[in-house]
Amino acid sequence: MKKALLIGLSILFLFLAFTREQVPAGPYELHYPVYFGNRLNISPANPLTKEGVYLGRKLFYEKRLSINNAVSCGTCHEQQHAFTDAKQFSMGVGKQPTSRNSMSLANLLWVRSFFWDGRATSLEEQGKEPILHADEMGETLEHVSAKLQQTREYPKLFKLVYGNDSITGDRIVQAIAQFERTLISANSPYDQYLQGKYTPTEKEQRGMTLFMTHPDPEKNVRGANCVHCHAAPKMFADLFHNNGLDSLPKDKGREKITGLPNDRGRFRAVSLRNSALTAPYMHDGRFRTLEEVLDHYSEHIQSSTTLSPFLQDASNEPGAKSIRLSAKEKEELIAFLQMLTDSSFITDPRFSDPYKTEIRK
Amino acid sequence: MKKQLLVLVLLFCLQAPVLRAQTAACIKVEGEVTTPLTLCAEEFAKMKHTEAIMKDRDGKEYRYSGVPVSEILKQAGATVGKDLRGENLSKYLLVKAADGYEVLFSLAELDSTFTDRVVILADQLEGKPLPAGKGPFRIIVPGEKKPARCAFEVTRLIVRFSSEH
Repeated sequence: MKKALLIGLSILFLFLAFTREQVPAGPYELHYPVYFGNRLNISPANPLTKEGVYLGRKLFYEKRLSINNAVSCGTCHEQQHAFTDAKQFSMGVGKQPTSRNSMSLANLLWVRSFFWDGRATSLEEQGKEPILHADEMGETLEHVSAKLQQTREYPKLFKLVYGNDSITGDRIVQAIAQFERTLISANSPYDQYLQGKYTPTEKEQRGMTLFMTHPDPEKNVRGANCVHCHAAPKMFADLFHNNGLDSLPKDKGREKITGLPNDRGRFRAVSLRNSALTAPYMHDGRFRTLEEVLDHYSEHIQSSTTLSPFLQDASNEPGAKSIRLSAKEKEELIAFLQMLTDSSFITDPRFSDPYKTEIRK
Repeated sequence: MKKQLLVLVLLFCLQAPVLRAQTAACIKVEGEVTTPLTLCAEEFAKMKHTEAIMKDRDGKEYRYSGVPVSEILKQAGATVGKDLRGENLSKYLLVKAADGYEVLFSLAELDSTFTDRVVILADQLEGKPLPAGKGPFRIIVPGEKKPARCAFEVTRLIVRFSSEH
């Protein structure tokens, strides 16, 4: 009799273990290379927990965040494209496309200004905008909270993370921010090179040297000086520069935020990690390929009063207005840029859409 | 109609000071100071100026004119001169620029009781206002091998204690 009870209980336990997903709990430990540094942008009021990241991932892929229940954050930030959407502009719930190109979400843990114009200083602040924007999700935080409150799953998860089951806009964006902070891309061939585990090909090596070198034609030094703004090894800097796309920019960029005329046409120097996966390029997605991007810097820099000083005095030809790279040098730079592609980042199951995984089950 | 006009005028009046404050060329001095300052171009130009020579990326030397950073810190009531001792030696100055660039100096590096090198906040190059994109204020550090700490478009000088425990 006792034995039968024991077997019965074991079967019940196994059944429960397999049918109910265990929500992990406890502080979330972040792992990243030492060379990324520890200047992390984490709101003190929102420390990472395993249960918070778990909830954040669900919410990131939750379509109820939009007014027509058809668009989630993951719609315009797809893992396979390093969390961009391969479109010039994105379509949300409205009839209008967005006004700027969808940004990659890799390594936001180190970013201190969000959006192309840097108007948000935390992911918590940033996260509300797409939910509210008429061309993105077109919702209100109150209505989204009410929708989630009526589900079976979410009140329980919010209770686990926040101590009670009240669902609010602040809690939603906090959890999403926690998940986004875990999107660390640090396993590209370039990282393996930095860790002494990969030897670049000659072409990659030449591309890397060009990337890191300021051109100096008088001393016969060839360079593309990308690193000045796309600082190694993270490949971005919290800098705003006008990179000479237009002499009269249609989109005034950071000037719209600061009101300062010297910020005209300035945008963030975004990360080049995974850039081979994040086409099209620039704030308005005007360039379809990396080749077009290099052609721009090489030959088509447009002068204006706010053109970055670092693009004004940098060329491989004395007196030229653009960097002037040869066809071979462009190929070498692209070989190096491809070294920044982290294939494990775009296939990591921790970052994938949990609803798709559930359907597959 | 009149009412609408009145509302418009009122709105304009309310907006105007905000716009002026945003577009004026000013720097802020803040943090561990007794008197936080906002120095604007006109007022800055009246302060006692010093010259500093800086070798730029092109290898040529340029003559800048401006106010010693130590003088600005003194005016703001930071711990300089005889007060720069003990725990105050773990203070630093963070220089912030409009494009997001940041550079750091220890207070002792800027102080005449420690060094003869005079770092200035320049508002003139060869007797003229600084060119677009580099002014109106630029840090000039004479004698450095690289111009990387000579930040352009300086907007804020922030004094802080090192937060290491």
